[in-house]
Amino acid sequence: MYLLLPVVLFIACDPDPIDEGPDEEIITTLLYTLTPTTGDPVVLSFSDIDGESGNDPIISGGTLSANTTYSGSLELLNESESPAEDITEEIAEEDEEHQFFFATTIADLTVAYADQDEDGNPIGLSTTVTTGATSAGTVTITLRHQPNKGGESVSDGDITNAGGETDIEVEFPITVE
Amino acid sequence: MLSCLVIGAQDCGFTLSGLVNDQSTNEPLSYANIVIQETKAGAVTNDDGEFVFDGLCANHYHIHISHLGCEPQILHIDLVSDTTLQIILDHTSIALGEVVVGAKSHVTATQASNYVGKQMLDDNLNESLSDLIADIAGVQMIRNGAGISKPIVHGMFGNRLTILNNGVPQSGQQWGIDHSPEIDPNVAQSITVIKGVQSLEYGNANLGSVVLVQPKSIGREPHLHGGVTTLLESNGLGLNINARLQQYTGKFAWRLTGTYKNYGDSNTPDYYLRNTGLREANMALQVEKSWKDKVFSEVYISHFSTRLGVLRGSHISSTTDLASALSRDTPFYTEEKFSRRLDAPNQVVDHQLAKWNTKYYFDTEDHVELTLALQRNNRKEFDIRRGDRTDKPSLNILQYNTFCDLKYYKVLNQEWSMKIGSTTSLTNNQNQPGTGITPLIPDYFASRAGAYALFNWSSAKFNVELGSRYDYEFQNIAKFSNTVPKELLRFKNNFHNVSGLLGLSYQLSDNQSLLLNTGLGMRNPAINELYSFGLHQGVSGIEEGESGLNSETALKSSIEYKIWSGVGFSLDIMGYYQRFWDYIYLLPTGETRLTIRGAFPVFRYTQTDAGIVGLDFNSQFSIGNAWIATLNYSYIKGTDVTFNQPLVFMPSNNAIAGLTYQFKQSPKLGKTRFENLEVSSQFDYTFKQHNLLESQDFALPPDGYLLTDIVLSGNIILSKVQLRCNLKVTNAFNTVYRDYLNRQRYFADDLGRSIQAGVNIKF
Repeated sequence: MYLLLPVVLFIACDPDPIDEGPDEEIITTLLYTLTPTTGDPVVLSFSDIDGESGNDPIISGGTLSANTTYSGSLELLNESESPAEDITEEIAEEDEEHQFFFATTIADLTVAYADQDEDGNPIGLSTTVTTGATSAGTVTITLRHQPNKGGESVSDGDITNAGGETDIEVEFPITVE
Repeated sequence: MLSCLVIGAQDCGFTLSGLVNDQSTNEPLSYANIVIQETKAGAVTNDDGEFVFDGLCANHYHIHISHLGCEPQILHIDLVSDTTLQIILDHTSIALGEVVVGAKSHVTATQASNYVGKQMLDDNLNESLSDLIADIAGVQMIRNGAGISKPIVHGMFGNRLTILNNGVPQSGQQWGIDHSPEIDPNVAQSITVIKGVQSLEYGNANLGSVVLVQPKSIGREPHLHGGVTTLLESNGLGLNINARLQQYTGKFAWRLTGTYKNYGDSNTPDYYLRNTGLREANMALQVEKSWKDKVFSEVYISHFSTRLGVLRGSHISSTTDLASALSRDTPFYTEEKFSRRLDAPNQVVDHQLAKWNTKYYFDTEDHVELTLALQRNNRKEFDIRRGDRTDKPSLNILQYNTFCDLKYYKVLNQEWSMKIGSTTSLTNNQNQPGTGITPLIPDYFASRAGAYALFNWSSAKFNVELGSRYDYEFQNIAKFSNTVPKELLRFKNNFHNVSGLLGLSYQLSDNQSLLLNTGLGMRNPAINELYSFGLHQGVSGIEEGESGLNSETALKSSIEYKIWSGVGFSLDIMGYYQRFWDYIYLLPTGETRLTIRGAFPVFRYTQTDAGIVGLDFNSQFSIGNAWIATLNYSYIKGTDVTFNQPLVFMPSNNAIAGLTYQFKQSPKLGKTRFENLEVSSQFDYTFKQHNLLESQDFALPPDGYLLTDIVLSGNIILSKVQLRCNLKVTNAFNTVYRDYLNRQRYFADDLGRSIQAGVNIKF
């Protein structure tokens, strides 16, 4: 009987987990605003509020004008918190530890870094996007945490030797017309 | 193992005589060296294993007994009359097929088991619990880099393998492949692997095999004795120290043991593995007291704490990262220089155990035993995080476990004996606040109660064992969902598990025996299999529990044949087949889930029918007078019967050949004597795992590899103290290899050559 007593006591109560709140480090949303010298800005957005859970993210690409220069600006948010937390600031504070990479399947489209960290290496929160002839394809934006910024061609935007952990990797459909 | 017969009485001029037997064969051992340390008198046993000393005065004596290939023993006697000693020596360095038959444990006589003794533990102070037993056929390890390993016996590990630390089932965060058991093997006196089917007595969700980590009884030696073992290792520039002290005060006996380890980055043949260091500090106190040979009581308290580095380049957060790591020869973040720095990712684990065990003997054939234990386990895992969060654990679980075991043993008559018992355990698993992450494993209470009965019938040639066990488990789980907003979900589960066994051993002749076993076991799904949810580094994907899982059932049959002749030859072959119904495993579903970090493969716990077939072969033979050769082989193949495809995470086949040269002489240099000198080399070949489909893993299993170890060891006997020296070279040819069961294989090569030098001093 003495053996059963602690079991009975245990059954009587329920575990009481502590709510950690929304996950602190989650990035739910990426907004890439492309502003031409004249005309309306184009916003590419990726949003996945429930992270690894089952609901699919909402992705919206955009249409760019041919032979145009845009200034690109990235904004990262954690929208699982209310109000939404701006992660962009956190990245800017730790700019030596972060770098964005831009890859595209569109031949005439180029993305150039327009910002630098204290060591003179690119970050990628600000960019200059130049379009060429009419085309369609994708743009993939990758954020690496603790990459080897000194690796070969990494400062030119080549991800091959960057290493680090991928915090973001999103692909947008793009039309150039 | 020692019994004294007291005959007659005089003042001085007593006779001390004795008989030395081999533990495994029970045959007399000739040429054993017996030295009385106080008088320096020496004797050698004759062909019948006997020795005699004459003309001794009444006094305290320490008798040093040694034999080639055996662990030396020091025995204390208080000589007051003519005395005859019965000494049993143990061929520990061979670690081969001994059946562990303790003083009063007939019930275990049909079990297949293998054994690692104290000398092996001292000589290999740098090795983990898994390393130490991995040379036994049928035992291998699952690893994550150099520091994190867990044993796998006949394909069973983690939730399916019971590890008994000092009689108490080890309780901790044992799910997942990347957690080591929180045990310091150097505190123990021996490690036994029971590979049979009948470990009913230990219960606790096991489906066959048991690993027993056992300290030795302290005994009644009135003088303060102790020992210090130090081992330095070149790979990782590692320092290992183990120290122990013990004494019988006349009222009680105590032993204090401590271990400290410090390692920096280990290296492969070509580069350093950044952030793979280790810090470990352990303490254990054992106190024994007996009352009138009726009541034996033991208190055991241990504290294990470790900080384990995880290869920096193996910390990835997307499948793109994994693909780029797989395409590289050296991992990212590899540095030119050696470093002792230990940063994130790492694991900090703290385990405490307090145990009280009491046996009451009604008479020699009838006793009752009670064990009460409390365990506290705190596991923190640190990852590379954004912001200043790297110092914050990303997982922090505190688990309490209480364990209570009551058993009664009785010899019923000449042939029959029985053991009945009951076990209860309670587990409280709590995620600690402050991680900022929804936990992968939920909070839960689990309570378990079980009862068993085992009967043993033995005659001169036959030993039959049969038994049955019932366990009930109640799980009470609370977790937060991964939806936005979060919801608190509660689950309550009840499981009933039944197991049974039938074992038979038959002594074919004086030096041959046959063991047959069949056992049925059930294991209810563990919490992680039911409710884990999230991205798991260990599987590089999204892991989802399945709350509708049933208990899995396993039927295992084994046949074992043993033959031996003296110490010259022994052979042990074991074949087994284990059939599973509702085998629980992590299925790669084939679907991918798109997140902001890219697409991840989804793994879900599911059930299937499976079969595991295997063969273990252990052999040893003497060539001439001084050479000993060993050959061990293990074969294992797991099949998913329902889908007719291989089972993942099955060990590769493995063959180990060893050759030892023993120096017959005990050379003397002045007053210094050298004993048990031997040189040995071991060739360990691990075959490529061919039994796996390409779709079942991120990368094909690596090629087979051969590792060569060379060991030089011996004892140096000085006038007052004895030194045990051990020089070992592992991976002597600096072979570049990767192992299928090491998760680090996706990222880096395995360890290169390492030289280890160890000294053990006893006093």
